[in-house]
Amino acid sequence: MSGWHVDEGLLADYDRGTLPPSRVLAVDTHLLACASCREQVRVDPVWLTGNWSVVFDALHEPRSGPLHRFLRRLGLPEHRIRLIAATPALRWSWLGATATVLALAVAAAYLGRGGMQVSNAVLLVVAPVLPVLAVATAYGPPADPMHEITDTTPAAGPALVLWRATTVVTVAVVMGVVAAVLLPGPGWYAVAWLLPALLLSVGTLALSTVIALPAAAGVLGGIWLAGVGTAVTIHRDSSLPLVFGRTAQLGYLFAAMTAVVVLTVRRRRLDPGETR
Amino acid sequence: MNTVSIDGLGKRYGATPALDGLDLELGTGVTGFLGPNGAGKTTLLRCLATALAPDRGRLRILGLDPAVPAQRTELRRRIGYLPQNPGLYPQFTAYDLLDYVAVLKELTDGRRRRAEVRRVLDEVDLTDRARTKVRKLSGGMRQRLGLALALLGQPALLILDEPTVGIDPEQRMLFRALISRVGESHTVLLSTHQTEDVGALCERVVVMNAGRAAFDGTPRQLINRADGRVWLSTTAPTGSQPYWRNADGLYRRLGDRPDDGRPAQPTLEDGYLLLLHRSAPARVAR
Ligand SMILES: Nc1ncnc2c1ncn2[C@@H]1O[C@H](COP(=O)(O)OP(=O)(O)OP(=O)(O)O)[C@@H](O)[C@H]1O
Ligand SMILES: [Mg+2]
Ligand SMILES: [Zn+2]
Repeated sequence: MSGWHVDEGLLADYDRGTLPPSRVLAVDTHLLACASCREQVRVDPVWLTGNWSVVFDALHEPRSGPLHRFLRRLGLPEHRIRLIAATPALRWSWLGATATVLALAVAAAYLGRGGMQVSNAVLLVVAPVLPVLAVATAYGPPADPMHEITDTTPAAGPALVLWRATTVVTVAVVMGVVAAVLLPGPGWYAVAWLLPALLLSVGTLALSTVIALPAAAGVLGGIWLAGVGTAVTIHRDSSLPLVFGRTAQLGYLFAAMTAVVVLTVRRRRLDPGETR
Repeated sequence: MNTVSIDGLGKRYGATPALDGLDLELGTGVTGFLGPNGAGKTTLLRCLATALAPDRGRLRILGLDPAVPAQRTELRRRIGYLPQNPGLYPQFTAYDLLDYVAVLKELTDGRRRRAEVRRVLDEVDLTDRARTKVRKLSGGMRQRLGLALALLGQPALLILDEPTVGIDPEQRMLFRALISRVGESHTVLLSTHQTEDVGALCERVVVMNAGRAAFDGTPRQLINRADGRVWLSTTAPTGSQPYWRNADGLYRRLGDRPDDGRPAQPTLEDGYLLLLHRSAPARVAR
């Protein structure tokens, strides 16, 4: 704008609707007050709507949070980010709860000086359950109150479920690794729980093709906690090698692969519109 | 032309049959579903909207079979569904919510998506509430937002489960205008407990009862069932006939003519009540 009036180039851009929203607002304000500039712009309804839409969209464009920016940097397209960002489990409340549980487990490992192995075991045992909870709250009832609308859109079905599940499991695992690295003790602690976590997450998805998702998560999470709890009670300090040793890890890997196969074969059942 | 054919549709929840071998053929225009609580209206609309798979029977919707995955996805591109309890995310603004569902409906191009969001906001008269969070909207506004979600993408089949709950009279007028406009070229199925809505905008009415269609015809035909069965009288009936006392102190009675009965103008509600009153004993006997 030159002096008190809108210059011609700007006015031409305004006319074409190619002006950035912030400047459209400024020009609008000026035009409201200035009859001589107003005479220079054609009052064309298409133009008017065009400009109005630009302003409207700029005002309403959903805010992009840190997660949004991070995913964009990874090269994901905008619309896919929108879908992931709306995943129920990715709310601050969920992230906060997960972080708190992990922090408490790490604190317990430092404070519980008595049997160091048992204190460390708390985190190793709890960490694989967190991705399961994440999967259970990633989609569908009851975590997603809008599931009825989501389920009837063309995006619904196995692909959306797997995208959401993968995202939340990744987030939960990253948080778990950070916590496990902080543990006092040998370095393998940081990774010892990964295969059980993988098994329980994929297993939950696979089992959810048979029973409801929250029930599937409850069954597998419960079996894990009960099994490990029993091992710790019976074998005390030697329970860690038993639960996280080489033989056990091979078992988890094999079971996880089986779960992947089951999930692949039955993935269509992840769609609520599918006959059971 | 039939856009929806329903053939022997059945769905049970445990021992309760929510749908009990339902047969129906529906065409373009607006069809209203009436029926008592638990009649199976929501279950039917959920099956038609591909949110639920029936236990038995066949569906053909817009020429597609929702039991086949590829056809189900294609069908989802062409339907708009407003559930009875839409459960809209409270922390989203109206605009964000529409934008999100538009993405689910495959409007991936940003410019087209935003234009469509603006269009539906305008349709339901919520443009000036676009930046309001869902939890700060009134109940009726939330209902209108739910309707806007269903309208995204101009679906050929619109399925609305109790769309007029909690909407004020002025907005109800706008709603009727909108639905009848959509109904001129598309298929609209709506369930409701408001017989006035059905009388005002449905070409066709289906009364559901215990998982079946107890009536299927025009609103006029349903009203006609009450011809010569609605009376104004100074005395209350003794039997089980439905009746109430109106503002003039007269008893409005349905059924056989009372001794001092004067005929009254029947309404759609009378036809509905008489229909269900008659089928009620059969339900008890089962
Ligand atoms: N998820 C469910 N689990 C168990 N039973 C259900 C479920 N949904 C519906 N039902 C049962 O199925 C029957 C039909 O319910 P439906 O919701 O279809 O009725 P409706 O006609 O929509 O009723 P309303 O007018 O109250 O909305 C009822 O007996 C109900 O209890
Ligand atoms: Mg219902
Ligand atoms: Zn000027």
